[in-house]
Amino acid sequence: MKSDTIIKVSTLSFVVIFFLYLFGPLIVMSLTAFNSSAFPRVSPWECFTAEWFNVLINDKTLVEGIKNSLIIGAGVVLLAVPTGLAGALMLTQINQRVRPWYYTIVISPILIPGVVLGISTLVFWDRMGRMFGFGYQSIFYDGIFLTIIGQSTFIAAYSMLVFISRLQRFDNAQEEAALDLGATHVQTFRKVLLPFLKPAIGSAAVLAFLASFENYNTTIFTIVSQSTLTTVLASKVRYGINPSISALAVAIVVLTLFGAALLEIVKRKEQREEKAAEAAAAAATKGDTSQAAVKRTSVLAEPAMYILVLVFIAGLGTTYFAGTMGVNECKAEVKAEKKRKVEAAVHERQQKDMFRNAAPTFKSGTTTGGARKKLDAKGTEGYQSIFAPKNLEEQSGTKTEKPKEKTKAKGTEGYQSIFAPKNLKKQSGSD
Amino acid sequence: MSADVQLEDVWIRFGDFVAARDVNIHIEESKFFSFLGPSGCGKTTLLRAVSGFLEPSQGVVKIGGKDMAGIGPNKRPTALIFQNLALFPLMTVWENISFSLEVQGIGAAARRKKADELLDLIALPGQGDKMCHELSGGQRQRVAIARALAAQPDVLLLDEPLSALDLKLRQHMRTELRAIQQRVGITFIYITHDQGEALTMSDSVAVMSAGVIEQLADGNTIYDHPESAFVASFVGTNNLLKGKVSSVDDQYASVDCQGMGPIRARRGVKSGAKALKAGDACFIFVRPEAIAFADGGDFDNTIQADLNSEEFEGHFWHVALDVPGSDQSLKMSLINEGRSLEHAPGSKANIGFSADAAVALAEGPLAAE
Amino acid sequence: MGSAIQKFYLRNGTALATFLILAVGFWVLMMIILPQLYMVDFSFRHNLPPAEIGGPKDTLTTEHYEFMVYGSAQAEGEYNTVTLKVFGRTLLAALFVTLFDLALCYPIAYYLAQSAKGGWARLMVLSLIVPFWVNEILRAFAFRILFGSGGVINGALISIGILDQPIDFIREDVALYAGLGYAYILLMIFPLYNAIESLDRNQIEAVRDMGASWIRIHRRVVIPFAKPGISSGCTMVFMLSAGALAAPQILGGPSSLWFTQIIYQWFQSGNNWNRGSAFGLVLLVSTLLFVLLMMKVFKVKLGEIAR
Repeated sequence: MKSDTIIKVSTLSFVVIFFLYLFGPLIVMSLTAFNSSAFPRVSPWECFTAEWFNVLINDKTLVEGIKNSLIIGAGVVLLAVPTGLAGALMLTQINQRVRPWYYTIVISPILIPGVVLGISTLVFWDRMGRMFGFGYQSIFYDGIFLTIIGQSTFIAAYSMLVFISRLQRFDNAQEEAALDLGATHVQTFRKVLLPFLKPAIGSAAVLAFLASFENYNTTIFTIVSQSTLTTVLASKVRYGINPSISALAVAIVVLTLFGAALLEIVKRKEQREEKAAEAAAAAATKGDTSQAAVKRTSVLAEPAMYILVLVFIAGLGTTYFAGTMGVNECKAEVKAEKKRKVEAAVHERQQKDMFRNAAPTFKSGTTTGGARKKLDAKGTEGYQSIFAPKNLEEQSGTKTEKPKEKTKAKGTEGYQSIFAPKNLKKQSGSD
Repeated sequence: MSADVQLEDVWIRFGDFVAARDVNIHIEESKFFSFLGPSGCGKTTLLRAVSGFLEPSQGVVKIGGKDMAGIGPNKRPTALIFQNLALFPLMTVWENISFSLEVQGIGAAARRKKADELLDLIALPGQGDKMCHELSGGQRQRVAIARALAAQPDVLLLDEPLSALDLKLRQHMRTELRAIQQRVGITFIYITHDQGEALTMSDSVAVMSAGVIEQLADGNTIYDHPESAFVASFVGTNNLLKGKVSSVDDQYASVDCQGMGPIRARRGVKSGAKALKAGDACFIFVRPEAIAFADGGDFDNTIQADLNSEEFEGHFWHVALDVPGSDQSLKMSLINEGRSLEHAPGSKANIGFSADAAVALAEGPLAAE
Repeated sequence: MGSAIQKFYLRNGTALATFLILAVGFWVLMMIILPQLYMVDFSFRHNLPPAEIGGPKDTLTTEHYEFMVYGSAQAEGEYNTVTLKVFGRTLLAALFVTLFDLALCYPIAYYLAQSAKGGWARLMVLSLIVPFWVNEILRAFAFRILFGSGGVINGALISIGILDQPIDFIREDVALYAGLGYAYILLMIFPLYNAIESLDRNQIEAVRDMGASWIRIHRRVVIPFAKPGISSGCTMVFMLSAGALAAPQILGGPSSLWFTQIIYQWFQSGNNWNRGSAFGLVLLVSTLLFVLLMMKVFKVKLGEIAR
């Protein structure tokens, strides 16, 4: 049916466009990490280089930020995960009538805007500090402490959700069985409940660490005078853009892909072992008790792991070599190319201006043509003013053109007004 | 070591709901004791009170003569086998079995040895390293038993352990459980709604309904000499005839039943209850296997009935009859003697049974269908 | 109450019970309730230097809230149009982003939940998650690269010939909206996906057989069923957009100041924490009101929203 095909086609194209929207920015950003141009761009492509990774590593503020983010992340895991576990356990034991209220209060940090959490943490501990008479050097004003507390407020709620869903699958009879067999409460918790919760503890810890690491809204208030990776990044992005930031993004993407692949391998392995166990049970039901116990091997022994690690190392190596080999030659070439382009444009301008001087009628068309030429030749913006007929003789060397290019490059908006026919006469008058 | 269990004046209430009402029983040591009753009758509640997960609202629970008030489940000399077994899924079979030793701080080598001994006892040698979900249902059942036995309890409590198994396995496990109990010699308290299990395995049975113990006796007595309408209707299949007592003597009662003429039956005895006397409305219970075709034979009671249907079930013939002139019906079970019955459906037949085979009891609630 | 605590200790053992009470107590009291209460109180006080706090000058005042509406005494005009405008625009823009994300993600979620097959669906789900492992700052940065005057989109459009001059996407707020919409796709898709996935395919088949058009199917069958998912997704996206700080800072042009940026300024350069707290409270209350409104309109309970 035709309408069906139309729907199918439009759905698929929508999906394609969607994924372009989703991945496009990231792909572009990753590409800019390898372009030796000072401002992150994809076109024109100058040289393939890995030097921005170098800049990244040597950036002291960034490294300081990463260090703080790691410390805070660890702190948040240590605070939020046990708190979330306590919250989940408490939920299972609390009175039916109180339970909805308790749940609402405990979930609320997730709904409160991050900035508000940051503000309230900051303001509250400032008060605590004053109440106890501590000064600004004390822990109450320490960015790391405040950030750990502020982030844990809502991250504990997330980890509580993880534990709640895991606890729902727990058979309470196991706890009773352990007690009945003589275990104390502590032993029951340690030997029966905790092993069951282990996977949840793992995922809650990972979740907590990641949520803490990438948090900005709350952190920007609580970090006071220090910095984390996110705050450093934010200020860099606003004030000093260069492709080392793209390089960081690439590093993060690669790391996460690696992590995802790792997870997939572990999951597949567990699924295989589950299937084997089920088969053993089925065989046992039929009376066959000769089956050996299902072997549980370590993840590191998986062949897929080796392949993954090899690919990772190979990728790193290739990038490094490709990126460092011949970069300097390439850069020199690019410089030379630019110089040639500038000279060629200058020459062309000279020709055109000679024509113009010869024929006084001025076609409005040349303005737009000139403007377009300017944008095609990267970095040649702004020549009009320099090559106004009067200044032809005083043409300075191409080298001094470059700095002017750069400043003009940033402010290309509004050129139209400068190149309106009316202003050209004015331009030649100024300078 | 084994111990006896005593429940004195035990009441268990949950808010307004009474789960157990004035329970007074003594369970002898080293005996196999069953609580038999439909779901919701309170048997699980009593079990949890004995094992320590529940404190009675009133009354005393004594194990081995000692009052268990305030003593938690981990300190009582009991071990409970849960309905869903509650094996620890993250531990191996041998770790499960030796758990009670682990919490006492006993070393791994000694524990492994004990686990292997018990594995031999439950006929699962060498399976110690498997995980529980690699075993079949019956095997897991046995692991649960071994785990409980490893704790060396004085009393072993079993909460409907066979309900999840299929028929053949259930029958096999009945014999096994009884054998284990006799071998180990400790007190078993067993809960079930299946009276076949209760009767085959137990030394004594307590039939429960709605929190009340209706009768406590050995299997034969429960079956042949029920003391209440509930017990009579719950245990096994039973025919019910309604009527009014016309006269009584020392052991028997004569009852007028609609459409049948006077039926002579034993007077049911219930301790503490009033005996049946003339004029009382009553129920008469007769087992299907106690009724036979009355052609020629001499019976205390004879009834003329219309033969409704005959079903052949291998071991038995089940015959259903209607009593004309009333809305009562009867079921008969005849042993298959290798030939067909001489009476056909739709014909009239005379059936009879002795007075000793019938019991007259006061009217009362019956077991649900 | 006393017996309840006793039972609690009995059930958990001393060590665990104490841990539970301390941990939950600290969390609920010292991290959730008290800081919020204190922030409310703080917003009603004057901006005093530390020495004077607690002294005679430390009285309750509504000056900060008045400032938000009426502006300072020296400013011209009766109302604080700048702040009010920013506040209003932030909420409207957040609403716009929410609707944009809803329109964008609904078809994808539907496709994923109903049409895509096993392995292909899993791959799609995975590929949805991957971009969001990248930091939100870096994602905003990527948009900056894309939308900047010397950026990729402008470069591409110009080389194709559609444009002569680069469009200042940043000034026109396009970059910001695209960036914000992008940031919360995941939060919109998954509630929608979960809700639609639980819809029995047979229901849709049955309605199709009866000859209903796709529009009708969605309007009468799918959307009502997916209501909890829709409200959950919309709530989260709205709240996060209204409270966003990084994206407006990085992608915002001069005309698209975000309310959160004003709050930040009061803390950072304005040095008036009390005022910042007041504005923060306004943000909190307005977003909570929105959530409650959503819940009423869609007749959904709180528990269903919290994922």
